[in-house]
Amino acid sequence: MSAATPFAVVGVAIVGAFAVAWLEGVVAGRPSPVPVIRGVGRTLSEPMSAPATYDRWLFHMAPTLLLVAALVALSTVPWTPGFRGIDTEAGVILFAGALAYVTPAVFMAGWGAGGGLAVVGGFRFLGLMLAYAMPLAMVLTAVGAPAESLRPAAIVEVQANVPMAIVQPLALALFVPSVMAVAFIPPFDLPQASSELGGGAFSRYSGLEAGLVALSQRILVVAVAGMTAAVFLGGWHGPLLPAAVWMVLKTAAVAGLMLWAGRRLPRVEIDRLLAFAWKVPIPLSILAIGWGGLVTLLFYR
Amino acid sequence: MISLPVVLGVAAVMFAIGVYGVLSQTNTVMVIMGVELMLGAAMLNVVGFLRYSWPEAASGSFFVLVIMTLMAVEAAIGFALVISVFRHRRTAELDDLSGLRD
Amino acid sequence: MSDLGVALVVWPSAAILLVTALYVFRTASMARAGLLLLASLGVEGLIFLALASEFLGALQLLMMSGEMVLMVFFMVMFMPDPGGLMGMDMTHDKRRAQAFAVAAGIALALVAVLTDWPAGTLNADAVDVRAIGFEVMGRSMFTFLFAGMTLMFTMIGGTLLAKQGGRYRVGAPSGELRDAGDEGR
Repeated sequence: MSAATPFAVVGVAIVGAFAVAWLEGVVAGRPSPVPVIRGVGRTLSEPMSAPATYDRWLFHMAPTLLLVAALVALSTVPWTPGFRGIDTEAGVILFAGALAYVTPAVFMAGWGAGGGLAVVGGFRFLGLMLAYAMPLAMVLTAVGAPAESLRPAAIVEVQANVPMAIVQPLALALFVPSVMAVAFIPPFDLPQASSELGGGAFSRYSGLEAGLVALSQRILVVAVAGMTAAVFLGGWHGPLLPAAVWMVLKTAAVAGLMLWAGRRLPRVEIDRLLAFAWKVPIPLSILAIGWGGLVTLLFYR
Repeated sequence: MISLPVVLGVAAVMFAIGVYGVLSQTNTVMVIMGVELMLGAAMLNVVGFLRYSWPEAASGSFFVLVIMTLMAVEAAIGFALVISVFRHRRTAELDDLSGLRD
Repeated sequence: MSDLGVALVVWPSAAILLVTALYVFRTASMARAGLLLLASLGVEGLIFLALASEFLGALQLLMMSGEMVLMVFFMVMFMPDPGGLMGMDMTHDKRRAQAFAVAAGIALALVAVLTDWPAGTLNADAVDVRAIGFEVMGRSMFTFLFAGMTLMFTMIGGTLLAKQGGRYRVGAPSGELRDAGDEGR
């Protein structure tokens, strides 16, 4: 990690957020990037207002915490052999830890808005956290086993011949919905739930804070798509093109797939999702850990 | 600048705040929060020893893991008890749960 | 990290740790109390990171957010004044609690300052993630097994305790779920 790394991460965050916003438009059938730019201008030019009765501290701290969580999660993603973000030994744990702070941030946004449907949105995201947290953490363990390391760059290195998606498909199948839930992409968009909860947890924000929330959500999408590409699809490995191009292509593919799937599926119901999540994905994650260990012993040693 | 007595001193103050919380709060959930603070102080102590006195002792790191596990376990059982008590007595205030006194 | 770097991280973090821990018990709003405790224990994770325990620091940060948010959840369910706007005093025996707390803190601080602790140097043999892994799977396997079993018993016990009607289904409703006190049980 060099002195330029934070700036590079912020640069990737901003460019990536715009790209994701544009991808959302593409998936919805509006392939032009102009509405994105216009939307940003409109959001930032609104005056910042707050609801009449609200919890001042929590309301104003939530977008900042969400942004910090998204940026730290993004900084653990390895993009190229030269630019690996924050290259710590327990990088994958730091990734999961940063994503864990999305929950208090969304909760603070909901509670801080001072009542009504916003609080419901915040609490529903808590329930969603109970569903996605375990598979997310366990799959990261399963994926770290073949690399014998929790450093994301090491996990990319070990996929030089075969991507992890082919060796551990169960882990991939559990990881993708979990990270979609973390970044509250539809069908897991319980906090926003625009048609149900009148805007949900983020409805009371306007102006710069609303812009920060939208930016943070898109940075989260970049971070989780990037980590999926790095850890499951082989990161920067690929035949002809340079490393950075492969990584960008893979990240864009994963993000596009997540956004496209979201538009096709109905929003999950939290009670049915929780009942399902504790009975099926969690035992399957334990199986995935076992499979990861088996694969390590058979092929990677 | 930062040495072991500093870290232990900070942990001591954190422990004291936890003791204050446990002894002064009437609601069970707040008491659980006080206990979490005390366990956090203990963890800080162990990490301090690990850094300044015995940096090669991996069992120290493992001990911190065990304390973290215990934090979660104690909170989980505590909350389950709170749910159960609340169902029967409609209150979780420790002052009202004095049926076994004298 | 260099000495200056460690000091730059630890001093402000320690200050935030202690101030937020104190305010947990001084605030009336329950959501704020839970989130202040999250701030306190999360900043402790940062201190772990500065004190060369990467794995423990990341783990502490990771676990505390989930735990504290659930704590807020429970507080909103079970406390008489979760929003903190009714001005109830939720303490008893404040003077004695303060006296005990101050005494305990002073005793521990005296031990910390007056004892001659052994000094070790942080070199390449220091604990890293691999060392923890080998330790857990080797010498501490027995403890690890017991910790796992404790967790399993906690899950089962917690679920049984929280079940409607308890373990033997005493007085449990036969149809849909009903809350206690709804119909004067």
